[in-house]
Amino acid sequence: MAAFLFRRLFYGLVALWLISTLIFLLSRLLPGSFGAQILEAESFYSKGSQGSREAAYQAYLQRTGLDQPVFYFSISSSAEPAGIRHIFPESDRLLLRQLAWQYGNPELATAYFRALKQFDNPVEQPGQLQLKARIQKLHASIDPETISSTTDSIYQLLQGQQQGLVLRSAAEALIGDRQPYRALWPAFSWHGVHNQYHRWFSDVLQGDLGKSYRDSGAVQDLILQAVGTTWWILFFSMVLTGFLALELSILFVRQKGGKWRRLLLPLLFFLDRIPVFILALLLLILFASPAFLQLFPVYGMGAYYVGSQSWPERFASLFPYMVLPVICLVCVNLPYITNQFYRSLADVSQADFTRTAKAKGLSEGRVIRRHMLRNALFPIITLLSDFLPALVAGVVVIETVFAIPGIGRLLIESVLARDYPVLVGVVLVVALFRVISHFVSDLFYGLADPRIRLRS
Amino acid sequence: MKKSATLVCFLLFLLSFCSQPQRQPDEVRVRLFNDPVTLNPVNYQNSSALQLVNLLFQSLLTVDLEDNTLKPSLAEDLPVVERTDSTTLFTYSIREEAEWADGSPVTAADVAFTLKVMLAPLVNNEQIKSQIEFIRDIASDQRNPKRFTLLCKGFSPEMELLTGDYFILPQYLFDPENLLASFSVPELVNAAPELTNNKSLKAFATHFNSVDFARSKDLLKGSAGYVLENWTTGQYVVLKRKQNWWGTNTGRAASYLTANPRQINFQIIPDNTTALLALKNRQLDVLSNIPATEFDKLREDSTFTKEYALHAPDSYEYNYIALNTRLPKLNNRYTRQALAHLVDADNLIKVTLSNFGTRTAGPVPPAIQPYYNQSIRPYEYSQARAISLLKAAGWIREGDGWYKTIDGKKEKLTLEVNYRAGNTVFEHSALIFQQNAAKAGIVVELQAMENSLFRQKARTHDFEMVFRSLSGNPFIFNFKPFFHSAYSDEGGSNITGIGSPETDALLDAINVAETDREKARLLKRLQEILHEEAAMIPLYYLKERIAVHKRFANTKISGLKPNYDVSAFTLKN
Amino acid sequence: MHIFFSDIKHLWKNKLTFRAAVCYLLGFVLLALLLPWLPLPFGPNELHLNQVYQPPFESANSQLHLFGTDALGRDVFVNTLYGARTAFFISFPVAAITLVLGLTAGVAAGYFGNSGFRVSRASFLGVLASISFMVYLGLYIPLKAELLLPGHPLALVSLGALLLLLLLLWFVVVPLLQKFAAFRETMALPLDQLLLRLIETFTSIPRLIFILVLSSFLPPTVLLLTIILVLTYWTGTARLARAEMLKIKHLPYFESARSLGLTSWSLIFRHALPNMLGPLLVSFTFGLASLLAFESTLSFLGIGIPNEIASWGRMIAGIRHNTAAWWLLAFPGGFLLLTVFALQVCNYFILTLIQQKKL
Repeated sequence: MAAFLFRRLFYGLVALWLISTLIFLLSRLLPGSFGAQILEAESFYSKGSQGSREAAYQAYLQRTGLDQPVFYFSISSSAEPAGIRHIFPESDRLLLRQLAWQYGNPELATAYFRALKQFDNPVEQPGQLQLKARIQKLHASIDPETISSTTDSIYQLLQGQQQGLVLRSAAEALIGDRQPYRALWPAFSWHGVHNQYHRWFSDVLQGDLGKSYRDSGAVQDLILQAVGTTWWILFFSMVLTGFLALELSILFVRQKGGKWRRLLLPLLFFLDRIPVFILALLLLILFASPAFLQLFPVYGMGAYYVGSQSWPERFASLFPYMVLPVICLVCVNLPYITNQFYRSLADVSQADFTRTAKAKGLSEGRVIRRHMLRNALFPIITLLSDFLPALVAGVVVIETVFAIPGIGRLLIESVLARDYPVLVGVVLVVALFRVISHFVSDLFYGLADPRIRLRS
Repeated sequence: MKKSATLVCFLLFLLSFCSQPQRQPDEVRVRLFNDPVTLNPVNYQNSSALQLVNLLFQSLLTVDLEDNTLKPSLAEDLPVVERTDSTTLFTYSIREEAEWADGSPVTAADVAFTLKVMLAPLVNNEQIKSQIEFIRDIASDQRNPKRFTLLCKGFSPEMELLTGDYFILPQYLFDPENLLASFSVPELVNAAPELTNNKSLKAFATHFNSVDFARSKDLLKGSAGYVLENWTTGQYVVLKRKQNWWGTNTGRAASYLTANPRQINFQIIPDNTTALLALKNRQLDVLSNIPATEFDKLREDSTFTKEYALHAPDSYEYNYIALNTRLPKLNNRYTRQALAHLVDADNLIKVTLSNFGTRTAGPVPPAIQPYYNQSIRPYEYSQARAISLLKAAGWIREGDGWYKTIDGKKEKLTLEVNYRAGNTVFEHSALIFQQNAAKAGIVVELQAMENSLFRQKARTHDFEMVFRSLSGNPFIFNFKPFFHSAYSDEGGSNITGIGSPETDALLDAINVAETDREKARLLKRLQEILHEEAAMIPLYYLKERIAVHKRFANTKISGLKPNYDVSAFTLKN
Repeated sequence: MHIFFSDIKHLWKNKLTFRAAVCYLLGFVLLALLLPWLPLPFGPNELHLNQVYQPPFESANSQLHLFGTDALGRDVFVNTLYGARTAFFISFPVAAITLVLGLTAGVAAGYFGNSGFRVSRASFLGVLASISFMVYLGLYIPLKAELLLPGHPLALVSLGALLLLLLLLWFVVVPLLQKFAAFRETMALPLDQLLLRLIETFTSIPRLIFILVLSSFLPPTVLLLTIILVLTYWTGTARLARAEMLKIKHLPYFESARSLGLTSWSLIFRHALPNMLGPLLVSFTFGLASLLAFESTLSFLGIGIPNEIASWGRMIAGIRHNTAAWWLLAFPGGFLLLTVFALQVCNYFILTLIQQKKL
């Protein structure tokens, strides 16, 4: 038994590590990054020049360690130029990448790119505008004919200046030495321990999930806060869903329950199909608007209150805020859970011991509650252990509509803001919950099932 | 039987909560669209935070929403400007009465400290650093601790605004150990690399970058009329008026420095529909950005208008279509004009905005009459004009579309239109454009993009046609970043990529124009050229849609964000 | 199988509700297939800018919009019909792929467990190599190439190279390796553990992140939507199939069949699969129905979904901008209800049929 549990724990931890690593890497694949808004200039007047914004952005990347490689090693196409991470701005990086992939020769592409960059700060001279137009054209093109004709005309324009010659010969070399399918070949590069993952993972091992990019708050505090606000909603909806699902499924397996089942099951199915935001909207319009019944507050989790409140007072003031979200969550989860409960109970009702119990002349309710439920409980435990994380991750819409800052909102906001530490932290915590609940349900299983208990 | 009795009891229990939370009449409830995340006056990140920080801290200058003009705030008067060849000097004096929350006066030393915080390496100031890149030094007056001069490099019209457009920080509170005192502003401007290893700089950066400066009640105390009372993340932010705030003693001269409501309660509601319901439930006093169709309906609702005043001021949010002229197929002016004729902006305003938009012929707001060029007629929707322009541009209609040989390659005229995912107005506009273009035989593909990706594409000039908006203002018209060829390099803000020697010279001339008449003439000429080029197809200036409870007076509704001045609200009797 | 059909014929004759439901579903499928050829007054994406938010059954300008119009004057009736087509063309393939994928994984894991599936070392190496080839040449290179050099043949070349390599691997390298005794030795693959961990990983990563990451590489298309849905929905079916397989494995009839020495193949196909039909059918319809309205939730979260595709979700989501336009919710929602209901009815009758067979 101990060995069985130990093995399960080990697998659980491995899964946890895998999930967190995967999400860490996935999150870095998202386009854009948090600091990129430093580069934005959306106003009628200039707030700083392009160059100074670039410099600030790079300082930001350096300060937060985002300029480091993501993982210990990387496998990429051998067309990818070395040191591409250090090329700024992004559009330059894109150009170099395109050149390298197009011609399959990263070295020559880099040489050509550097030659092109020499023209960035031109000195005043006649014909500068024409030169500039051509340089811009080169910046927008990777087409061999355009490159060769344009570099040629730049050479002509500069009348044999060194810069023009260098550019033209770099372009000639690049176009001449094409290796179009080199990109298919992989290249392996080792980055050592100075990488983002290493830093993050060693912090996590010390119990530190990092700091949010947005407000420098510790990620664990943010998550605790988010869970704290929605804790009661989650708790109530879970209890209510469990209770209702149990009662409904008992009703369905009863002999006389067929009528109810035929009526309610399709209804539950339909409930399951309504998009959550429509459900929430309908609830709001029906129960929180002057047009119909104005029973509950529309949004939030309690209002600001000066002075101290005792625990029941606080709870009573929070209660009206919770009603609609809880109803909504129950509606969202009830169909699936009921269906599972019912199926599990129906299976048991076919079993021999049920028939024996019935033959003994026990009343139907007693048979169901005493005998069947107990046996049907095991699959239900596993199911409930999966239920909690699903509940946590699946409430984004409800939290948005009812303006409750819970864990779902935290997740989506961190995704949209590219706040990687929070994003990874939330997923990690949800996965942790899941691993723990699986472990606990394994424990129950193990205690109840002699086959597992005795195997070791 | 027993069960149904329980159920009835339960329902009754629920109904007992019918009562809405009690409200104080002099507390203003305002909706915020998102959590402010951080109230740090140096690295705030969204408009909600800016709105809040404005009530906690002050800058040297401010915009009075009453008349949308620039006025002195912490400063006594607008700065005295002295221009030399390569530098400009701005001299300010801070108001005599101005004081921090602990009663100590606001002095030039605080301004110097603020500059240092914004310039210091390692500090989380990258958002704002480049905004004051032109400030080189600060010279305090020896005799008057409240008087100082900012030494700036070069000159541009927005400098006056920018020298006064950052929040002044209290040195006594933010740097009690005087860690930054040993540095001078020029030292930090030059930013020698060895500074990053400096101990006191490191210590200050750790101190300042901490979460305390994002949310602590005790640290976020500025010179403005409010202090942070409570902030529950994602739910509400409550601000309380200071006792005996200095601003109320300035008399008539600075009557626009206000802190009238005793308490302001900002409610964070991300979803528009929810916010609207909350307004209808009288749970909110102020709601801006109401969806156009809903706003129309509210206007007709007499029980609602009895309690709430509805406003639709002309905003300075310019909405336009940008075409990437770098692309060979959009390089020709006639092609772009043809597309402009297919946009049907009048119908866009009518259908997607229920007419809450003002048609414009260019980037200058029509509300600014002296500068707006009335003689330009905005592009009208006309299939015939579009087709003849396409022909003029060399496109030939063949079966399924328009073709043209560019640089030896036969190209078909197709367009990919991008807009930010979730922006319904632009989504609908793009759909309308798609239908109009299809009638003319142009295949248009629509592509919604998630915000970060959308911005990245625009920044790297990797797009064909985008719907965008730009927030402007009525006092500074420096269009250089958008139309000057110097800004059209990679990553530059001139995303359309237009710019000729003529426009470059014009843009430079606008910025140094001596008289208003001269400036108006140049701006009108610029609008003409932009209209002709049609790289940026102007759509409209948005009309804001705001509801404010009628018990408040002096709401200062304005087209400038945040569209009302909540600190000015007074109770009607 | 033959008896099964005759039973259905029996049901058809005797149960009116069953007949109605089947008729509705058949009509639904027929409509979905034939829609483009039907004489409809408007196209699904045809805008009528002077008739926005027109309530149903009111005619203006001599044009009747039976179910009203939406924010851009698109006809709700035509969109409801086209929405049915989209629902069919997206959810049916997704549900089918999900079923096949989940079933294969779940049954294999349940049947073989952690020790039942043995492969030679050579094949194992072959599998590992194939997976890495597929990720690199089949995914990384084509995606990157499409992103950097749209229209360049590199992506196709990469896929061709992949095919070549795989052929080479399985027809030359692996057979060659088999010649050595060390590579012929078999090893057990812990299929069950693998599947469980995979499911755990997939369900722990929020769907939202998946979608964002994927849509950053590819423009949002029906194909992308399908991939996302398959990737996120297969776990449920797999889990169910595994549980059912485990249950069947311990039933007396199955154990006796196994003791007869039948092959795994025929054990699974002849004896296990027919008995799993019921629960799988439930899960299939469950999945089918839940896919029908998923994309409206996506657009609520501001994630790009192709908006040229007429769908029920698109129309239902339109109610957020005008809560008074009840017809945007009522008609597509009504059809959604009907479809789900019909599926449910068929489901119910077939399930009872199977249960009767079992007893």
